[in-house]
Amino acid sequence: MLRFATRRLALALLVALTVSAISFFLLRLSGDIAIALAGEGARDIDIEAIRAQYGLDRPLLFQYGEWLLQVLGGDLGTSLFFRTSVGALVLDKLPVTLILGISSLLFALLISIPLGVLAAIYRNTWIDRLALSIAVVGQALPNFFFALILVMIFSIGLRWLPVSGSGSWQNFVMPTIALGYYVAPAFMRLVRAGMVEVLSADYIRTARAKGLSRRSVIVKHALRNAVVPVVSLSAVQLGYLLGGSVVIETIFALDGLGFLAYESITQKDFPVTQAVVMLLSVFYVLLTFVGDLVNAWLDPRIRVA
Amino acid sequence: MRLHTAALLTGLAPMLFAGHPAFADQANNSIRFAYDQAPESIDPYFNNVRIGVIIGQHVWDTLVYRDPSSNEYKGLLAESWERIDDRTLEFKLRQGVTFHNGEAFNADDVVYTLNFVADPENGVTTQQNVAWIDRAEKVDDYTVRVISKEVFPAAIEYLSGPLAIHPNEYYEEVGPEGMDRNPVGTGPFKVVSNEPGKAIVLEKNEAYFEGSPKEQGPIETVDIRIIPDRQTQVAEMLSQGMDFVMHVPKDQAEQMEQVPFLQVVSGETMRIVFMQMNTLENSPAPALKDERVRKAIMHAIDRETIASEIVGAGARVLDVICFPSQTGCDASAAPTYDYDPEKSRALLAEAGYGDGLALDIVAYRERNQTEAIIGYLKAVGIDARLNFLQYAAMREQIRAGEAELTHQTWGSFSVNDVSASTPVYFKFEADDITRNPEVRDLLQKGDTTIEPEARNAAYRDALALIAEHVYGVPLWSLPVYYVATSDLDFTAYPDEMPRFWEMDWKD
Amino acid sequence: MTESTAFAAVAMPSAGARLRRRVFGHKSLVFGASLLAVIVLVALLAPLIAPYDPYAQNLLARTQPPVWYEAGTWAHPLGTDNLGRDYLSRMIYGARISLVIGFSVMVISGLIGTTMGLLAGYFGGTVDLVVTFLVTTRLAMPVILVALAIVAILGGSLLVVVLVLGFLKWDRFAVVMRSATQQVRSQDYVAAAQAAGASTPRILFGEVLPNVFAQLVVVATLEAASAILLEAALSFLGLGVQPPLPSWGLMISEAKAYMFFSFWLIAIPGTALALLILAINLAGDGLRDIVAPEGRE
Repeated sequence: MLRFATRRLALALLVALTVSAISFFLLRLSGDIAIALAGEGARDIDIEAIRAQYGLDRPLLFQYGEWLLQVLGGDLGTSLFFRTSVGALVLDKLPVTLILGISSLLFALLISIPLGVLAAIYRNTWIDRLALSIAVVGQALPNFFFALILVMIFSIGLRWLPVSGSGSWQNFVMPTIALGYYVAPAFMRLVRAGMVEVLSADYIRTARAKGLSRRSVIVKHALRNAVVPVVSLSAVQLGYLLGGSVVIETIFALDGLGFLAYESITQKDFPVTQAVVMLLSVFYVLLTFVGDLVNAWLDPRIRVA
Repeated sequence: MRLHTAALLTGLAPMLFAGHPAFADQANNSIRFAYDQAPESIDPYFNNVRIGVIIGQHVWDTLVYRDPSSNEYKGLLAESWERIDDRTLEFKLRQGVTFHNGEAFNADDVVYTLNFVADPENGVTTQQNVAWIDRAEKVDDYTVRVISKEVFPAAIEYLSGPLAIHPNEYYEEVGPEGMDRNPVGTGPFKVVSNEPGKAIVLEKNEAYFEGSPKEQGPIETVDIRIIPDRQTQVAEMLSQGMDFVMHVPKDQAEQMEQVPFLQVVSGETMRIVFMQMNTLENSPAPALKDERVRKAIMHAIDRETIASEIVGAGARVLDVICFPSQTGCDASAAPTYDYDPEKSRALLAEAGYGDGLALDIVAYRERNQTEAIIGYLKAVGIDARLNFLQYAAMREQIRAGEAELTHQTWGSFSVNDVSASTPVYFKFEADDITRNPEVRDLLQKGDTTIEPEARNAAYRDALALIAEHVYGVPLWSLPVYYVATSDLDFTAYPDEMPRFWEMDWKD
Repeated sequence: MTESTAFAAVAMPSAGARLRRRVFGHKSLVFGASLLAVIVLVALLAPLIAPYDPYAQNLLARTQPPVWYEAGTWAHPLGTDNLGRDYLSRMIYGARISLVIGFSVMVISGLIGTTMGLLAGYFGGTVDLVVTFLVTTRLAMPVILVALAIVAILGGSLLVVVLVLGFLKWDRFAVVMRSATQQVRSQDYVAAAQAAGASTPRILFGEVLPNVFAQLVVVATLEAASAILLEAALSFLGLGVQPPLPSWGLMISEAKAYMFFSFWLIAIPGTALALLILAINLAGDGLRDIVAPEGRE
C-alpha cells in the first residue's frame, strides 16, 4: 500500500510540475504582456516603462524559474492588473468556487442516485427509459443556455432569486442547478450499471431468497456496493466542476475563481490565469490521488496494478 | 404565472414587467450601479478605464472644473489662474478644503502630486496625460505654478480632466498601492469599501467644501458592482436588482425603454469611430496604397444608415477624424464622400480589383458595427475578414505594421481639444500607419501654436489633407445609452461621465 | 459516422443479420442517427435550400420575428437577426460550421489520442508510463480555461478553435484505445501475427486497429458532440469563432443580449444545438450498447 501511495504521489507531483511549465510558457510565449498591461490609450513610453518595471525584458526560462521558486515559497506573484498579491486574490475567491463546486456535486448526486436506483430496479420499464431520457436530454442542453433560461424564469419572471452576485445562499441556487445537472447523467449511468450488476449478484439473490424485504436488500446491500465507484467518480467530477465553473460564474457574476480566471484572461493578467490554472490542476491531481487511494483501499486488487 | 410563462415563450417581455412597481432605494438615497469592467486601481493615475475616470471624479477634485453643459472652465481646487508666459500657468488655490482623512489642502499637495505623476519613473498608466508637465512649483501656501515642457495650449483642459490632486503627506507615506486600498481625496464622495474586481462602495462626503461647482445632491451611497456580461446587467435591471447601467447597446436600450419602471437616457459622447488603412511601404495590403481603393472603401459604406439604425440616437456621421466639439476640429476644408456603391465598384475596377479584393479588418469593440461594415464591403466585392481581438492585441498588430484595415475608436480622454485625437493617429506616433510628413508638420504646428486662428488653420489643413487622400475613414461618434430606474433625475453629458453627486429623485 | 460506418465497424460475417436486427431494434439509435442524417443533409445541401445568402444584411429589416409571431412573415420564416440577415439561411449554413467543428476536432484529437492509446496498449512498459503520464497531465488541465486563454491570445477563428480543441481533447481516445488495445493484444491472432514475423506497424494497423475500431467510433461520436458544445461555450464567452460566420454557438452569443425581449433569437439556435448534440449522443450511446460487452445478450 505504501509503495503504491508513494508511486502515485510521485506521479501527482510530476504532473503538477508539468502543468505549471505548460501554463507558464503557453501564456508567456503568446504575446507582449507589457502592451497588454499598458491598456487602451497608452503610448510607447508607457509600454517601455511597464516592461522594465515588471522585469518582462529578461529571458523566459529565467522568469519561469523565478516564478516556480516563488510559488514553492507560497508566493503566487503580483496581479498585473490589480497590482495586489495573487495569493490573496485567489484565496479571497476560492470559497465561492468551492461552495459552488460542492453544492453542484451534491445536487448532481441528489438527483442521480435515486434516478439511477429506480432505473436499475425497474430496468427496461418506462421508469428506466424516462430516467435515461432525462439524462440524455440533460446532457444535450448547453449549460449556458439552460442558465439563461433559469434566469428568465426565476429572476425576471417570478422574482424569486437574484440574478447575480454572491452575497447570500439565494445567489447559489441557479448556478448550482446549471452546473450540477450536467454531470448528473454520468453518475446516474454509473449507479444504474452498478445496481444492475449487484442486483443480479449471487449474494443479493441469496438475501432475497432468505426472505429479506426488497427494500432492505436494496438499501442495505445493493446500494452500498453500487455507490462505491460513485465516490471515486465524485473526486474526478469535482475537479471538472471547479474547472467548468468559469462559464456559470461569468453568467451569474458569481465572484469566484472561474470568474476571476475569465476576467484575468480578458485582461491578460497572466499571473492570475497561471495561478488559477495551477490551483485547479493541483486540486484535480489531489482529488484523483485521494480517489486512487480510496479505491485501492476498497479494492486490494488495484494496488498491484 | 400563466401570463409569465406565455410571455417567456413568446418573448413579449413588456407583459412580464407590467405588474412590478418602481422601487429604487429612494428612501436610503442609494443607487446600485452595475459596470462591466473593473478598474485595476482606484488611484486615478493607475487605471485607464472609464469606470476609473468616473470614480476619480467623485472621490477627487482637480484644479479646474469644466462645466459639462457650457464647456466653461470654473475654479475647483483653484480659485483663479493666469498665464505667466508661454509655458507657465499660475493658480491661486482655494482655502479651507480638507481631504477625507482630515489633511488640509494647500500648495504642497498640488506640487507633490503633479511632480510625482510627471516623473516617468513612477509609471503612471497614461503617460500622455502627464508627459507635458515639466514641473510644478510652490509660490506660497496657496499659490502654485505649473510649467510645461513645451508650449502646451491644452494645459487647462488636462488640468480639468485627468489630473486629480492627492494629499501629499498621505500619498508620500502609502504610495499608489495604499491609495488604491484606502483612497483619500477631497471629492464629493469617499470610498468606504473596495473589493477588487467585485464591488466599490462610495458614500457622500458630508464635509465637502461649500461653493464647489460639483454641487452635492441627495444621493448618499453609490454601490458599484462589476458585472461583465451585458445580458446579466440587463437581467439585473429587469429584475430591479440594479438601478443604473451605462454603455447599453442601442437595441437593448430601446427594448428596455418599454419597461414601465425603467428610463433610457442617451447622449452623444466624444468617442469617435473610424477606420485606419495601412498605406506604409511594407503594408501587408498593397492595394491600400492605391488612393482609388481607399476612396472605394469610403464610398462603399452607408454610414448614415449604420449610424441611425445600429449606432443609435446622438450618433453623428463624421467628416474628419476628430470629435466636432474639440478645439481645432475644423472640417470646413475637407472633402466629403457619399454612399455610392456604383462609384465604389467603378473605382475598384479602375484600380484593377474589379474581380474582388480580400482584406483583413481588425476590431476590438462594437462588433455589430464591424459586422455591418463588413456586410457593405462585401456588397462591392471587398471580402473583409474579421479579426476580433483584445484592444492590446489589436494595438500590438497595428504597431507592428501587420494590420490592414482597422475599426478603431478613440475617446480622447474626454479632452476637448484636437491635440488629444488626430495627432495620435497621424503625427508619426506608434499608431500612425499612413505617415504623411506634410500632415505631421501641420499637426505639429497646431499642437505648439498658441494663437487660436493660426492654430485652427494648421489643424484644418491637416484634416483636409487626410480627407483628400483618405488616410482613414471617419465613421461616426458613439452615443452612450444609460438605463436607470425611472424615478432618477439625471443628465447625460458628452464626456461619458455620470455625475452621481448632482443626481436627484423625480417627484 | 452514420449507420453505414457503424455497420462496417462492428459487422462480423456470421452475425450480420442479427446485428442489423439489433441496430434497427434500438429505437434511440435509429432516432439519433436519423436526426443526425437530416442535419448532415441540410448542411450538405445548404446552398440549394437556403432561401437567402446567409451574409446578406438589410439594416432596415432587423430583428423581424419568425412566422409564428403576429408580426412574422413567410418572407423570413425564422425572422431576421440584428443585422437583418435571414435567420433560416444562417441556421442552415450554421449546421455546416457545427459539423465541421465537431468532425475536425474529432479527427485531430482522434488521431493523437488513438496513436497514443494504441502505442501504450501495445507496447506497455515505458511507453505506457509516458502515455499515462501525458493523459494524467492533460486531464489535470482545466479544458475550458486553457482553451479560453489560448483563443484569447491567438484571436478567435474557426481554425484556431478547431486546433485548440483538437489538441486538448484527445484524452478519452487515448484512455479507451489503451485499454481496448491491451485486451486485443492478448488475443491469439496478435500472437499468431507476431509469430509469423509481421512488422509492428503491420500488426498495429492490420490486426489491432480493426479490432478496436468499434470502440473508437463510439468515443469519436461522443467527442464530436462534446467539441461542438465546447465551441459553443467558447463562442458564448466571445472567445470562439468570429462573425460573420454563422456558427450556432456564436448566434446564441449574439442573441443573448436580445433574449429577454426577442426570445426566438436565442431559442432557435439553442434548440438546434441541443438537438444536434442529442442526435449525436443518442447515436453514440446506441452504438455503445451494441458494441460494448454489457450490451450483448
